[in-house]
Amino acid sequence: MENKNIISIEHVTKRYPVGDGEFTALSDINLQFKKGEFSGLVGPSGSGKTTLLNIMGSLDSPTEGKAIVMGRNVAELSHKESAQLRNLHIGFVFQIYNLLPVYTVFENVEFALLLQNINASRRKKMVMDALEWVGLQDMADKKPSKISGGEGQRVAIARAMVKRPEIVLADEPTANLDAKNAHTIMKTMRQLNKELNTTFLFSTHDEKVMGYLNRMIHLEDGKVRKDEPIEKPQYA
Amino acid sequence: MTANSKISTRSEPPRGAITRLAFHLAYKNLMGAGLRTWLSVGILSFVFVLIIFYQGYVEGFYQNSIDENIAWEYGGGQLLYKDYDPYDAFTLQDGHGKIPATDTKDLVPILIRQASIYPQGRLMPVLVKGIEVAQNTVKLPTQLLQQSSAEYPVIIGKRMAASVNLKKGDQVMLRWRDKNGSFDAGNVTIAGIFDTDVPNVDIGQIWMPLKKLWAMTDMKGQATLFIANNNYEQKNLPKWKFKTQDELLTGIRALEKMDKITGVIIYLVLLAIAMLAVFDTQVLSIFRRQQEIGTYISLGMTRKQVLGLFTAEGCMHSILGVLVGFIYGVPIFIYFTRQGIGTPAAVDNLGISAGKRIFPDFSPELIIGTAVLIIVSTTIVSFLPARKIAKMNPVDALKGKLQ
Ligand SMILES: Nc1ncnc2c1ncn2[C@@H]1O[C@H](COP(=O)(O)OP(=O)(O)OP(=O)(O)O)[C@@H](O)[C@H]1O
Ligand SMILES: [Mg+2]
Repeated sequence: MENKNIISIEHVTKRYPVGDGEFTALSDINLQFKKGEFSGLVGPSGSGKTTLLNIMGSLDSPTEGKAIVMGRNVAELSHKESAQLRNLHIGFVFQIYNLLPVYTVFENVEFALLLQNINASRRKKMVMDALEWVGLQDMADKKPSKISGGEGQRVAIARAMVKRPEIVLADEPTANLDAKNAHTIMKTMRQLNKELNTTFLFSTHDEKVMGYLNRMIHLEDGKVRKDEPIEKPQYA
Repeated sequence: MTANSKISTRSEPPRGAITRLAFHLAYKNLMGAGLRTWLSVGILSFVFVLIIFYQGYVEGFYQNSIDENIAWEYGGGQLLYKDYDPYDAFTLQDGHGKIPATDTKDLVPILIRQASIYPQGRLMPVLVKGIEVAQNTVKLPTQLLQQSSAEYPVIIGKRMAASVNLKKGDQVMLRWRDKNGSFDAGNVTIAGIFDTDVPNVDIGQIWMPLKKLWAMTDMKGQATLFIANNNYEQKNLPKWKFKTQDELLTGIRALEKMDKITGVIIYLVLLAIAMLAVFDTQVLSIFRRQQEIGTYISLGMTRKQVLGLFTAEGCMHSILGVLVGFIYGVPIFIYFTRQGIGTPAAVDNLGISAGKRIFPDFSPELIIGTAVLIIVSTTIVSFLPARKIAKMNPVDALKGKLQ
């Protein structure tokens, strides 16, 4: 059985124009991720974690090098293809949840499915399953403004997971959460990672998050300083 | 474990489903947006109702005017003596001719002469119109002339009656010239006062039996014009020219057109204000909702779909506006269609045939046309600022970094 990489970052450099010159946010990054990994990008603020996640999520493209996600070079995808990649295969979890305030919890989770050709009863089942994974099946009809931050982030996880994507990219998912909630959502994601074999990739400064990771990639000034596997994660 | 799961392409929902989704989301977003939405919706509904109301009123006003002019003055057209020009009083003296011997079966002859009356001793120039009393082509109550036993029975309109202060049964001195120019005078008796919306058959004129006028002026067999009824078949009569109903109505139709153009200008201004509100809301919402836009993209919408969503949202304002306009507009339209709208007295003196009550005409074409106009223009105005979304960088949008 071939064990190809689900994500392969090859000589990726990202430069931003600033003033007259350029700022190099990522410089010649090479990384490979296998299916089912539970790994994280760690490093100080400004080290390029978010930039790298966005490139892997085809929200951004590298200035140089290739980001190959599920066998396709994201820079070569059309708008439509990259939208499909995100819709079907990549789930995002953001630091600030980014729930859509006018929709209920149910509708927030359902959204990605609406873009696919899935009938209503199947959608309902998928959404309720996803809410069950995060323990929020009773909150389906609430508006995001009526739930707590921890619950909000769990909704965001359900939204990322509902389509059973191959990859979840989580950018500082615990930054706005207290310790208890941080542990809850990390446990939830670790569980999903095990059950569904979803590849998780985090960006974080949070020690608690690091305590769950199987692999830690240290970024500094846009370069990989250290890439260490963790045999026995603290909380796993 | 296979790690190389292929990128699957989604089986996309049919185009209609995406549009429906856009409208569904747009509706949710609008409902969630509160006051600002309702402000735009309110303005749009107001413009919608006002446009329909004004155009419906103008339509009803002129329809009434046209109907009344046909009923009282134009009939199925008029046959004028070649030298007579209704817009030139100087042609009255000689603008008359002998009634043709044949082909006058569906025609009501009228002879017009200039004369004076002396109500309370004041001199007042009038047109005396002799009309065949046995007619029912126009609504002038000529049977009153037929029934009267007075020596010189006349009927006048209510405006004339008011201006000279005459009532039914009153007498007033009339002074006229015969065909040779010699003056003659006599007392005419008001056999009736009629109420018409057409000042043209009322102000400054008195109506009497044609045969009396012939005798008074020694002009037997002469007429200035004929009013045709609907059975009249146009024939080629030398010395007489036929004006069809449509030709006679061109003046009124021109006025109607002018009023409608005025209406269009007024409502373009109103529409522009409403569009400004929509445009403003749209620009603001695209600016404020960058993270939402970024989120949609991260969830797998294409930028075009997000653009469609925001356009649908703007368009939804007008759909709601039209619906709200329907809710309060339709009862208003029905009420005024039934009750009519009173015409201010001042309008009556402008010489236009204004009904006492105008029954506006809110045709389905007008209502649907106005709804389409508003929805289409709102959609365009919503689309313009939303085009920005198509060029947005999703990362910047997610960070809310655009200006
Ligand atoms: N659009 C941009 N234009 C210019 N510079 C940018 C842009 N986006 C990011 N940068 C810069 O690139 C660097 C890396 O940014 P990035 O957001 O990836 O950092 P990060 O590691 O996620 O930091 P944090 O932990 O604070 O989230 C930063 O120095 C940032 O200022
Ligand atoms: Mg970051």
